[in-house]
Parts: sequence; C-alpha cells; structure tokens
Amino acid sequence: MKSSIIAMAAIACLSLSGSSISSIVDKVESPISTADLDVHESNGSVSLLGQFRTSVTSWLWLRTDLYLHNGVEMRPLTDGEVRNGRTGVGSADHQELAAIDADKLVTVIPAKSEDFRGILGDLERATRAYKDMAMHTHNDPETAFPLFRLMTWIDPNFVPGWTSGASLIARKSTRRAIVQSLEFLQVGLQYNPASIPILVQLGSLNAGRLRRFDVALRYLQKATEVGQKPRLTEDDNESLVDGYRWLALIYREQHEPELLAHVLREGLKRFPDDRVLMRLSARKAEIRKSPS
Amino acid sequence: MVVLESIRRKDLWVVAILGFLVIASAGMLGIFGFQGLELFAKDLGFSVLSMFSTVVAVLTSTRVMPEELKQRTLYPLLARPISRFDLLVGKLLGSILVSWIGFLLLAAMTGIALLWFGVKFDLLTVQYLVAKMLGLVIVCSVGLTLSLCMTHAAGCTVSVRVAFASGLISRALILACASSSDGFRLLFKVLNGVLPAYGLFDLGGRAAYLHWSPVAPWVILALAAYMLIYSSSMLALAWIRFRRLAI
Repeated sequence: MKSSIIAMAAIACLSLSGSSISSIVDKVESPISTADLDVHESNGSVSLLGQFRTSVTSWLWLRTDLYLHNGVEMRPLTDGEVRNGRTGVGSADHQELAAIDADKLVTVIPAKSEDFRGILGDLERATRAYKDMAMHTHNDPETAFPLFRLMTWIDPNFVPGWTSGASLIARKSTRRAIVQSLEFLQVGLQYNPASIPILVQLGSLNAGRLRRFDVALRYLQKATEVGQKPRLTEDDNESLVDGYRWLALIYREQHEPELLAHVLREGLKRFPDDRVLMRLSARKAEIRKSPS
Repeated sequence: MVVLESIRRKDLWVVAILGFLVIASAGMLGIFGFQGLELFAKDLGFSVLSMFSTVVAVLTSTRVMPEELKQRTLYPLLARPISRFDLLVGKLLGSILVSWIGFLLLAAMTGIALLWFGVKFDLLTVQYLVAKMLGLVIVCSVGLTLSLCMTHAAGCTVSVRVAFASGLISRALILACASSSDGFRLLFKVLNGVLPAYGLFDLGGRAAYLHWSPVAPWVILALAAYMLIYSSSMLALAWIRFRRLAI
C-alpha cells in the first residue's frame, strides 16, 4: 500500500515536471544533427519503425563501402596510429563514393607483418575477404547503386543516399544519365525540400553538365536561403560553400558583376577561408571589365 | 536422442520458419522490383544463414545437459553401462548433428531464395558450407561446456555473446596489443589464443562477393585441425566439470 502511494506520488511529480518542461520546450533550440544518420529522435515521431529503418539504412550505407572494396573490410586509422605516423592504404582510382578517405583507411584484418597471431592470422587472411589494399582500386560503383535505391526507399530522409546515388548515375556523363540523375535528385527533394546538399547538387548538375543556368540559379539561391539557418551540419556547410562557388561562377559566366560581388561578399562572410571564393573575389575586377 | 528430442520440441520447425522468412524477404525484394540486387541478396543470405545457424547451435548445445539434470533423466542414462565421458560425447555429437541438420535445412532454403535472384553457386559456396559446419562444432562444444559451468540461461547468454562478439573482441585485442606495454601485450595474446576464433570459419565474405578464388585445401585442413583441438579442449573442460558434479 505504502509503495503504491509512493509510486503514485512519483508519477504525479513526473507529470508536473513534464508540464513545466513542455512550457520551456519552445525556448530551447532544436537539437543539431551530428551525423548524417539521424535516428529520427528530433521530432515527435519516435517509433520503432523509424529506428528500424534508420538502422537498416545505416547498415546499407556501410555496405556500399564494402561493395566498393569487394568485401574487404576497412577501418579508419585510430588517433594513436595517426600520431605514430601510420598512413592509410591510399587509393589508385575514383573514390568519391567511398564513405571515408582512403588515405585514412587500413584493412580491418591486419597485414601479416603487423599481426601477432601467427597461423591464426594466416588462416583469417586466407578465409576472409582480404587482400593487400595498398593503392587499391574500387569495384565499379554501379554494383552499389541498387543499395542506394533500397536505402532511399527505406528511408527517404537519408540525404547522402540521394546525393551519392545521383553522383553514381551522373558518372556516365551522357545527357541521358545526367537527366536520370536529376530525376533521382528531384524525388529526393520532394522528401527533403530544405536539404542544402540536394539543392546544391541539383544546381551544380544543371549548371556544370547541362549549362541550364536559370534552372541552376533557382536551386542554388534556395540553398543559400536555407543556409541562413543558424546551425548547420558539417555536410550542409560543405554543400553550402559549393553553392556559393557555383553561384559566383554562374554570375561570372552571365557577366553580372553586381550579383557576383554580392554573392562573393555573402559567401566570404560565411566562409572567410575559402580559397575558391577568395580567388574569384580577387579576379572580380577583371570580370567587371569583360565585354558582355 | 538429442535429435529426437529436438524434433519433439519442434526446434527444426523454428528453423523452417526462419528459412521461410528468408525466402519471404527475398520474395518481397523481388516484388518491389529491385533489379541488380543479386549481390546484396547473396551477401544478406550468407549473413542470415550464419546468424541463424549459430543461434540454433547455441540453443541446442546449451540445453542438452541442464535439461537432463533438471528433469532427472540423467539417472537412467548413467545407470546404463556408459561412462560420464561417453554421455558427454554423445550429447555433443547429438548437438552437432541437430545444428548441422538445421544449418543444411536453412542453407537449402537460402539456396532456393538465392536461385530466385539468379545467383550462381561455385566451389567457394561448397567450401563455405563445409567451413561453417566445422565452425558449428566449436559453437556446440563451447555451448555444452558453458552450460555445465553455469545455469542454462547464463550459459546460453554467454555462448551467444561469445559467438557474435568474438570477432569484435579479437579486433579490439589486436588494436590494443599494438599500443600497449609488453606485459599487457602478452595478456592480450593469451586472451586472443583462448577465445574461439569463429570468424575463421566464415567464408561468407569471399563467397558473397565477386572474383574471389576458392581457398586452398590446406586451409580447410587447418580449420579442421583447429576445430579438433579447440573442441577437444572444450570437451576436456566439460568432462572435468561433469566428473566433479554431484548428482
């Protein structure tokens, strides 16, 4: 009886504290997304399904790296290894779709020279997917494309799935491939209308590959508008600086000195150390003098 | 007896249901029209097969002895002209047999699901099956030993954890060894040698991905030798424990 009363009192206290917390929720800033793989806890729709699909998407995302390396498991160098001067295996070809820079990667199964396990180590290297990955090449990324389709189908809010998948399609460089890539990104944009990486990629593909500057400007301007948010993720910032670069290049191409100056000013205000924007800014005067 | 008990308890039905889930999942991917997912299906198929067969092996091997003790059916068994060691070996062999049957059933169903995706099989797939069956022997011997050293539930839990985390622990030990003092290095080496190296028996990574050659015959022989040494050691430990057990 006594414990029941205590339990009820505890529940009442929790309820009261809950209502007082709800009154300050609006004053608290929304949590910043620290990684690409959110677990969808920042909104009210925390659910088992949401967690499940995010877990599956994370697993598929890591799987793409495994596909590019033909099953050879890789890991990033530890801080200690970096301090000791150890370097990664490096890559001999395109690795823009790999999850981690190859210069910071080593194989999970150690090489014979670094393995104390003797015969057990030899056996593991013989039975698992292992090979010397020094200056390795990657599998044709197209083998991983079904995974991108699957992960974006499972979790349409997983932005890297859309952007990496689109890069993969656009690798062919044919007009048809570029259009398909844009269509893929458009679907992604429907699910993520305020995604800076998707907007910037749509802009860069339209401008760089199809030279459709007007369409590109629409996406890039939207990206910089979204970029006014106070707190952005690392990926958002990386894409945003790209967005400013593309905007500046387009204005330069269109001989719009005022707009170019404005974009460079705004871009350098956000990213004062960006060398591309600095170089464009330094050459601004030449562009002004260019004949239209 | 272990096999009959397993059939009576409908363990193999569980295997069949798990297999059906594998096929149903594959079918679902087909329905949604994900072309080009053959590699993914193969990778997933081998992963699921490894996982489910390990679970079946652990559940079977950790149950056989505690149940005999709990239900007091051990007495009539020991009243027969067999030693405790014979009984232990019989239980281990029974567990291994059930695990193999379960594994082969699951493998057949995964095979059907993969054929649906147009996946082709080669010598490496056969080697994968053989190596996995050798690995299941170690899983069973560890499970049986642990079930004699602790309660059934604890034995089962520890066996599952060892089975699924041994690879991770081994990686951690390798990393730790590289950056530690000589004393700790020796400790990590010993720990690494004592832990069952289940990962050695999983050729799924090679079998699922493209252009990997079959492993050399010496590798399969070495795996068999490791299996014999490790499971014999486990059996010896189990026998020491069982011999001292007051019944």
